[in-house]
Amino acid sequence: MTYEDKLAEFKARIDSKDKIETNDWMPDEYRDAVLKFIEMHANSEIMGALPEREWIPRAPSLRRKMSLTAKVQDEVGHAQLLYRVAEDLGKSRESMFEDLINGRTKFHNVFHYPTEHWGDVAIIGWLIDGAALVTQRALLDCSYAPYTRVMRRICSEEQLHLRHGEDITLELANGTERQRWMFQDGLDRWWEPIMHFFGPPSNPAKDVLLRWGIKSKNNEELRGEFLDHYVPRILDLGFQIPDTGLHFDESTGHWVPGEIDWTIFWKIVKGEGPSTQARLSMRRKVWDHHRWVREALSEPLWSAA
Amino acid sequence: MPSDAKGLSSLLLAVADDELIIGHRHSEWTGWAPHIEEDIAFSSIAQDEIGHANLFYKLLSEVDGRTPDEIALGRQRGEYRHAIVCERPNGDWAYTLARHFLYDSAEQVRLEAFAESSHSPLSDVSEKLLREERYHRFHAEAWLERLANGPVEGRHQISAALISAMRDAVGLFEPIEDEEVALADKVMPNTSEELLQKWLTEVTKRIESAGIVLDLASKDGAELLPTSSGELPQPLEDTTQPASISYRDGRWVLDGTLSGFGGRRGAHSEDFTALWDDLTRTYREAPAATW
Amino acid sequence: MQVWEVFQQKGHTDAYAHVGSVLAPDPLMAMSYAKECFFRRKEGMGLWVVRRADVHQSTDHGLLEQVTDKSYRYPEAYRGVVAKRELARAKFAPASAPRRAAAVAGDDF
Repeated sequence: MTYEDKLAEFKARIDSKDKIETNDWMPDEYRDAVLKFIEMHANSEIMGALPEREWIPRAPSLRRKMSLTAKVQDEVGHAQLLYRVAEDLGKSRESMFEDLINGRTKFHNVFHYPTEHWGDVAIIGWLIDGAALVTQRALLDCSYAPYTRVMRRICSEEQLHLRHGEDITLELANGTERQRWMFQDGLDRWWEPIMHFFGPPSNPAKDVLLRWGIKSKNNEELRGEFLDHYVPRILDLGFQIPDTGLHFDESTGHWVPGEIDWTIFWKIVKGEGPSTQARLSMRRKVWDHHRWVREALSEPLWSAA
Repeated sequence: MPSDAKGLSSLLLAVADDELIIGHRHSEWTGWAPHIEEDIAFSSIAQDEIGHANLFYKLLSEVDGRTPDEIALGRQRGEYRHAIVCERPNGDWAYTLARHFLYDSAEQVRLEAFAESSHSPLSDVSEKLLREERYHRFHAEAWLERLANGPVEGRHQISAALISAMRDAVGLFEPIEDEEVALADKVMPNTSEELLQKWLTEVTKRIESAGIVLDLASKDGAELLPTSSGELPQPLEDTTQPASISYRDGRWVLDGTLSGFGGRRGAHSEDFTALWDDLTRTYREAPAATW
Repeated sequence: MQVWEVFQQKGHTDAYAHVGSVLAPDPLMAMSYAKECFFRRKEGMGLWVVRRADVHQSTDHGLLEQVTDKSYRYPEAYRGVVAKRELARAKFAPASAPRRAAAVAGDDF
């Protein structure tokens, strides 16, 4: 078969919703696109652990100390699952880590921001994980089968995280004035990053990920799903959403955001988020220092005799 | 229930605080460990230790009256009774592993003793925890084995780290307050000194069989990394007098200045200041609240 | 460091199923990591780790294809017994029908 024939056959498989496995023939464009997508997802999980883990030492009860550790452990677990899938597509973990800490590859915008108090833990645990679940559910239909298999586990764990996050939120919502303030203050700072999380409106015709069946829904649709689900739930608790243009469109029956300002989003894409360089440089320091650990792990044990 | 709960309370508080503080330190590695699978594994160990602390605080709560969270997170710095080794920053992976090995060996010795305690809730909990501790010790020893028998740099790192950690770890067996009462009631079946002897015999045997020499007078300390909050801690204090642990006339003898003592009386190092601030910060924002 | 494939057995009547893989330098650490990654919620009672190099995957799709008729391997091929049973009964059953015990396990059709 010529390359063109193989390519056409592959495209036909994608269009008929067939699933691609690790050892199947795939065109480079597909391999590169799916690897880059999964690598970014894996990067986001390992970098996403950082803002949240700040609050493990500062958790306000023993049970939350354990449950937050477990939750962040799950996120690191997701990174492990995703890096393995990416590694099997042909890039070593070492290379991926080097690219991440040197700013050559990306991670989701929401993980470039600092956290300030326990209210941020509630926001991240409920709303950001909620946003992630909306996008991740849409990936269950991805054409690349190894990714969908890990997504099933990831989605079921994110469901749990959502409950955990909602539990933390409701304690604040039903709590003291100070506790209610913590949630509202978090919401004021995190609303814009959450809107940015779904990405700017894109041209479906040019979307490589849609073409190869890696993504099945576009950014607008996903943002809309998030708003429809969470806006009423946030308002029910008596909190204010810091978006004066946000409104319910009677004609469509959906929540619509106000005008979104993408300035900070584009800065983050260039690696200029508020916490980007601090976090990456810390990762670089720990990575460089622990070369001896990687060396010790890579060798089979030999005895001193 | 012993007639005077003073001995029991002191014992439970010391052990619970050790578990909480070391669990706190271990949990700081979540997201940072040098190998992702190891990050996940070590995070479980951290959760175990905090869970153990919770169990001991619950036992204490029965004689104390305060809730476990009030005891764990509601005290002033000088009221904590953990050994200083637990509050040391994680430093790097070598120090963390060395401390993990020494601490979990101490836990084993301690729990085996408490399994014979006259206070049956304590003996029950101790037996239960020994099952989880088995895995902690397996983990620590697998790493000790791998580093001691692996590439040269790893060997240097773990040797230096064991020296650093050992200087403080002996403080795990500093006598607790009201130890005489605890002993009289047989709540504590062995003295801290007896447990220290047993522990030193076991760990030195283990370390020697891995081919490592523990020369505590060595100036090598573990190179310290920034803590996970981003700040660079001060290096460990250089002990000005040479310290040693030697076996003489059938027992282990500690000479010179070993830095790990004071914790059992609430005299902690500067390292505990930032730790206590983190540990209690959110709790203190609304002490009567539920979270 | 190698890739180890992880297999998990849920319960005694379940087969071991592949659940994922870990990067580890030896079998003991592989088992420890596999337990941490895939058994945090008591998902199973049995654990195997196998070096990826020792797993042989069939890439020949033809190997698993069924070309010629093998319908005789499936129960559906024997649905015809119902009609045959009735035929025999109509012709040969005695006037008074034989006594029947209560339903026995295995009475499909």
